[in-house]
Amino acid sequence: MPWKDGYTISDEQTIADADLRWPHGHRCCVCIVVDLSVANGPEGIRAADLKSDAAEFGAHDGLDQLLAVLRRHGLKATFAVPAVMARIQHRRVRALADEGHEIAAEGFRHEDVSRLDRAEEATRLALTTEILGEVVGKRPAGWFSLPRRDDPFAGGAISAHTIGLLREGGYAYMGNGLADDIPHYWVTDFSAQQALLTLPYYYHFDDLFFTMFPAKGTGLENPDFLVRNWRQEFEAQYGRGRYFHMVLHPRGSGWGHRVQMLDDFLAFMRGFPGLWNATGAEVAAWWQQAFPAHTHLRLEPSVWKDYPGSLS
Amino acid sequence: MSQALRREIDELAAAAQTFRAQHQPIANLAYPAGTRLAVNLTVDFDAMLLRRLMNETPMQLAKGEFGGRVGIWRLLELFKSHQVKATIFTPGRICELYPRAVQAAARAGHEVGDHMWEHRVPDDPALERDHLTKATAALERLTGKRPVGTRSWHTQKLLLELGYIYNSHGHAYHNPYYVRAAPGEQPLLNLPFHYAIDDAMFFSFAWLGSGNAAQRITDPDRVFALWWNAFWQQYCAGGYLNVVVHPFVSGRALRIAMLDRLIARMKSLPGVWFCTCEDIARHCLNVAPPAEV
Repeated sequence: MPWKDGYTISDEQTIADADLRWPHGHRCCVCIVVDLSVANGPEGIRAADLKSDAAEFGAHDGLDQLLAVLRRHGLKATFAVPAVMARIQHRRVRALADEGHEIAAEGFRHEDVSRLDRAEEATRLALTTEILGEVVGKRPAGWFSLPRRDDPFAGGAISAHTIGLLREGGYAYMGNGLADDIPHYWVTDFSAQQALLTLPYYYHFDDLFFTMFPAKGTGLENPDFLVRNWRQEFEAQYGRGRYFHMVLHPRGSGWGHRVQMLDDFLAFMRGFPGLWNATGAEVAAWWQQAFPAHTHLRLEPSVWKDYPGSLS
Repeated sequence: MSQALRREIDELAAAAQTFRAQHQPIANLAYPAGTRLAVNLTVDFDAMLLRRLMNETPMQLAKGEFGGRVGIWRLLELFKSHQVKATIFTPGRICELYPRAVQAAARAGHEVGDHMWEHRVPDDPALERDHLTKATAALERLTGKRPVGTRSWHTQKLLLELGYIYNSHGHAYHNPYYVRAAPGEQPLLNLPFHYAIDDAMFFSFAWLGSGNAAQRITDPDRVFALWWNAFWQQYCAGGYLNVVVHPFVSGRALRIAMLDRLIARMKSLPGVWFCTCEDIARHCLNVAPPAEV
């Protein structure tokens, strides 16, 4: 308990702090995600999005700044890359992989798939996997569906089929889920006990919502809020021996004062011993070995009853 | 012409007077000896139920699920570490989703109150009664104790009939006060909370359907400062403070750390009574019962 379709995606209780383990006795896992999508709305990346200063900045100057900071701190990141961006920036994306970063998929054009039928979504997913494989030289292990600026919610949009399709499509993990702050299993079929490993995401650690959000000129510039969220989450999760993640957009965090704040934060973070800076695929591989679903996903049948006059 | 305008004033004045007559503040609430103010830590344990009710997206539901898988347990640990008792307002359906957490809360000595069957009050009176009856029974079954408090929009008459002694929402006064659904009716005690002392106002994206340009997501330091000021003002006044948290919001590690600092700082002062809502409700009913009307 509980397993209740349409309400919960995983089991009743998280793994306690005391029961968590990271490779080689590391104390806390640190996962950095960089979003290369320039999509703003549910239709995904449009020509107008690409013909914008933000896209140009994010693809070059901003990305250079971000990579320089990551290099200075010796940190690896997982890049969430829509197929469209992989094609447009194929040399750059390949170079990121060669530098030791992970390249994960982020949809065909980072579009909203929630209204597509299953076959259409499957076709797009397969093509995305194929294109990223061609560009990088190996197929992606992870899939992201990060929120776009104009989405009504800050969690990312998926369809009822997405997680099952990812599982069938050979993906090792879904990169952004909100039901836990450590990796957890997203159940796709209760009776068959099928699930896809999901990495945690929370919008309070995503620069999108603090850097001139929602729109340039009229949005709010609150990178100081973001850094305080990072610091306090990191300190708390480090103290618990859990997991810390952050999501960066080169067009956001690559800019002037923000890249300086990022640099300062990473210097602060690296002052703590025992950090395991892993890519999404490395986290997934560790989790499948240390906390496999067959021993750690504790699903029991629901005790839910349907009543007239109540939601089912 | 001017007579019609005067009638408008009379109508508006009557509306104000009726509303005023429904509210009865408790003047000079006397606390037990040594107590300066009462603090109610109240937890709205709706997890994903409100998200489901509003037909929101799978990721929004998962955001709420965090409250049941992770957040509620952290809040219970936090309260235990400070040896304070809280009130967990729990929708009936949560008893079917997170029974262990509800039982753990009751066993730890916290009050488990009603928060509607599925976070809504049906318009149809028969169905409303059905929902409140089911929620009350579900909580009693798991905790062994019939709830006496609610945070809901249920009809006051129905609440009183089913044995509820207080509701906790609205903020017509700083201190607890009595509300009558209509002048002359039996009053129900209200334990006020203000949205400014509610974690979801600061940390939950798209709360209550707000659009992207209206987002106010912020960091724990700012909220710590606001809430400390709210506490300090009431501490000086000898009043009352109700702090509203949601497990899917405040159960996040960075906010548990913030609440830890806040409770520790409150506890550093003498005369702070951390009690359940039932404790303060029984105290109010005892020392300041509603006046007959």
